[in-house]
Amino acid sequence: MDKNRQMDNAKRVVVTGIGMVTPLGIGKEEFGRKLFAGDCAIDTIKTFDTSSFPSHLGAEVTNFTPRDFISVKNLRRMDKIALMTAASARLALEDAGMKITDENRDRVGIILGTAFGATDVTVQFAGTLLTEGPAFVNPILVPNTVMNAPAGHTSIELGFRGVNTTVTHFAVSAETAIAYAAAEIRRGTADFILTGGVDILSKFYYEAQTKFHGLSPQNGGPEACRPFDLDRNGAVAGEGCGIICLESMQSAMARGHKPYCEIKGTGMGSSLTTPTGWPENTDGIRRTFSRALKNAGSDAASIQTVFAAANGGKVLDATEAQAYEEIFAGLEKKPLITSLKGAIGESFSGGGIRACALALSMEKNMLPPVVGLTKPLRPLAFVAGGKKDIEINNAALAGISFGGTYAYLIFGNCRNGEAKN
Amino acid sequence: MTIKGFNLKKRIVITGLGTFNAIANNVADFAVALQAGVCGIKKLELFDTAEFRSQTGGQIKNFIPRDYIPLEFPLKRMSRADMISFAATLEALRDAGLYPLPDSLKEEMGVAIGGGSGGLLEAESFYMELLKKGTERARFSKLSTIYCASSADRISSGLGLSGPKTTFMTACSAGATALGYARDLIVSGQASMMMAGGVEPMCRITYAAFNALKSVDPDVCRPFDKNRAGLSLGEAAAIMVLEPLDAAIERGARIYGEILGYGVTCDSFHMTAPDEKASGAVRSMQAALKDSGLTIDDIDYINAHGTATPVNDVTETKAIKEVFGKRAYLVPVSSTKSMHAHTLGAAGALEGIVSMLAILHGFIPPTINHQESDPECDLDFVTTGSRKANLRTVLSNSFAFGGNNTTVIFGKYEGEGARHG
Repeated sequence: MDKNRQMDNAKRVVVTGIGMVTPLGIGKEEFGRKLFAGDCAIDTIKTFDTSSFPSHLGAEVTNFTPRDFISVKNLRRMDKIALMTAASARLALEDAGMKITDENRDRVGIILGTAFGATDVTVQFAGTLLTEGPAFVNPILVPNTVMNAPAGHTSIELGFRGVNTTVTHFAVSAETAIAYAAAEIRRGTADFILTGGVDILSKFYYEAQTKFHGLSPQNGGPEACRPFDLDRNGAVAGEGCGIICLESMQSAMARGHKPYCEIKGTGMGSSLTTPTGWPENTDGIRRTFSRALKNAGSDAASIQTVFAAANGGKVLDATEAQAYEEIFAGLEKKPLITSLKGAIGESFSGGGIRACALALSMEKNMLPPVVGLTKPLRPLAFVAGGKKDIEINNAALAGISFGGTYAYLIFGNCRNGEAKN
Repeated sequence: MTIKGFNLKKRIVITGLGTFNAIANNVADFAVALQAGVCGIKKLELFDTAEFRSQTGGQIKNFIPRDYIPLEFPLKRMSRADMISFAATLEALRDAGLYPLPDSLKEEMGVAIGGGSGGLLEAESFYMELLKKGTERARFSKLSTIYCASSADRISSGLGLSGPKTTFMTACSAGATALGYARDLIVSGQASMMMAGGVEPMCRITYAAFNALKSVDPDVCRPFDKNRAGLSLGEAAAIMVLEPLDAAIERGARIYGEILGYGVTCDSFHMTAPDEKASGAVRSMQAALKDSGLTIDDIDYINAHGTATPVNDVTETKAIKEVFGKRAYLVPVSSTKSMHAHTLGAAGALEGIVSMLAILHGFIPPTINHQESDPECDLDFVTTGSRKANLRTVLSNSFAFGGNNTTVIFGKYEGEGARHG
């Protein structure tokens, strides 16, 4: 019997709102439309000069007008990463039909993941310090160099005062933040938590990526992002923010708001890799996936789809694909596997955007395709060539990072306020 | 005390400690220095401070990595932050009787670290190289440890751990939040044991940031003094071994005490200034009391955030009075930052170690450097040297930029396996 059925509604964590500023679009209508149409947001980088780099592609956020979302009072204090976060959070709150009031503001919080924070502002500050000296640095920049600044700005802009935490762990930053937020809702330390991830493209960050040979084309060939493809040759850098709203089923029912889905379980883990190396064996993935399933009270057979972490990288995609072959071996019906990174690039904290996409998939009964996949590296059930209509009961979201860190989230459908097996 | 859906019957104890800071390079010396009221704030030697407003700081003295880290662990590409946190981890494991670490514990053991400046010290040398040699010849590999998440990666991979791994980035409250979250991961069954704490290295960029904000005292910091003129920056690593009480007893561990509860809130007021009404700090202490099932009468000592900035100390005093009422004047309050300086991302964890040592050895550490009383800071700040006291509990505050507040409550343990000071 499903363990979740036995849990009372105060402990069931549901997703009741989504908001995003992404290369594919801003807000769930535009994002959802392009996502399921199989659009690709990857294009030549326009905001900085890439002519001296071996890579030139990126998935940039375009047409984002911060003043449409942020009050004039706070606008000038916020940098690019804080603006994307606060705008996504505002969209998510509106989508959840949630108003911040004097009565609820102390019980609403944010737990945000970011892999690299405001690389643009930090480099600007450090540059002045190291070239001109301490007397010339701009104190106005200082508050925005700390990684918790986006969450701090967002709480000020939207006026909530509950739990406020920023988590970072490279490519699992957002998944870890979501897992923590779900635990905090279960623990009852807040009634409503905004969670997800944000990262931005900056010239410095892009250059560092190219120097670490993280970006396509790693070994020649045409530059592109091709998750799970035989011809993949590296990731394409992306940026953006995705925020989901978590609360208990009891709270959502009391507000009369229909959830997208619920978070049934979470699992975290580590494995031995070199500091900047991606995992080369499947131990960490298998272990963490099974922890998440156990935490959810489910098993591999109950999973209809996996939102994979694959980003077009040589090692990551091969290891992840092999892991799913092992995990789902022997199952009669194999889950469908998709990865969004062919459409939105690799922003490291893209788990927030991917969680938004997963919520939309549950609502619309369809899965987005793996953009850029034409020659699958293994015979898995990839969603390729276009969206796939399917009623999803249980889905897994994968977070895998270089350095050997993992976080898996198990989502369940609760269309009628009732978890399905 | 039960909070909805959360099993607080599972008691989590601290069985090992490790630290490097401005007044000690191990826990035993730290206990002695804290009782003696040693000031570790001196002229900085790590880098040239001639051009800065201040020249002082709490620097770790005589840290020779190979004196503390055996040859079996390669130091290649480890930042100062990585090395002090790894060395503190080994000390904590030895202290807990877990070194060498048995293989059977590795599967379910995790790491939660509060981070701060990470590898920024090393990034500075990279940046100088970049300016001198240009992007073609600058060694970007130096950046592989720039981010603070690298310290947790080094601990996890160095020890061969497979459990959860995460890094908190909430500036000055990060170390405290890491302790609280680590406790929760064990309570909820996601890890059987955690290495938890914080690390903050001294570096020019952080030093310049606090100088630019004019929040640094050019001399030594004087918490709660009428003439206090700002904080003193410090560096530290502080790591604890956390495990369930029953497991600790079963393996014959020597127990320091337990984490009774924690609370996390947000000012939602201003990025660098605390809310003058002190609402965030008040709610943080109240949340920790609620989580631990204690009342104000149960708290025997308050380890203050006490940075010695004009605004923090008066706000914190106000908050303590608001929470404790008349009892505020009866509970001793001290800021050990007067000795080891403000260690930012490590502060909450370092002061957690202070709290545990105070409980174990039965003393209240003093607020040193205090000369003149401030009428607005009129509590018992223990300004005339350490005091003997039988402490059952310590409440430790950590408040941060971005309005992030965390309070952790530590408790004495007197049952089977208890350590004696």
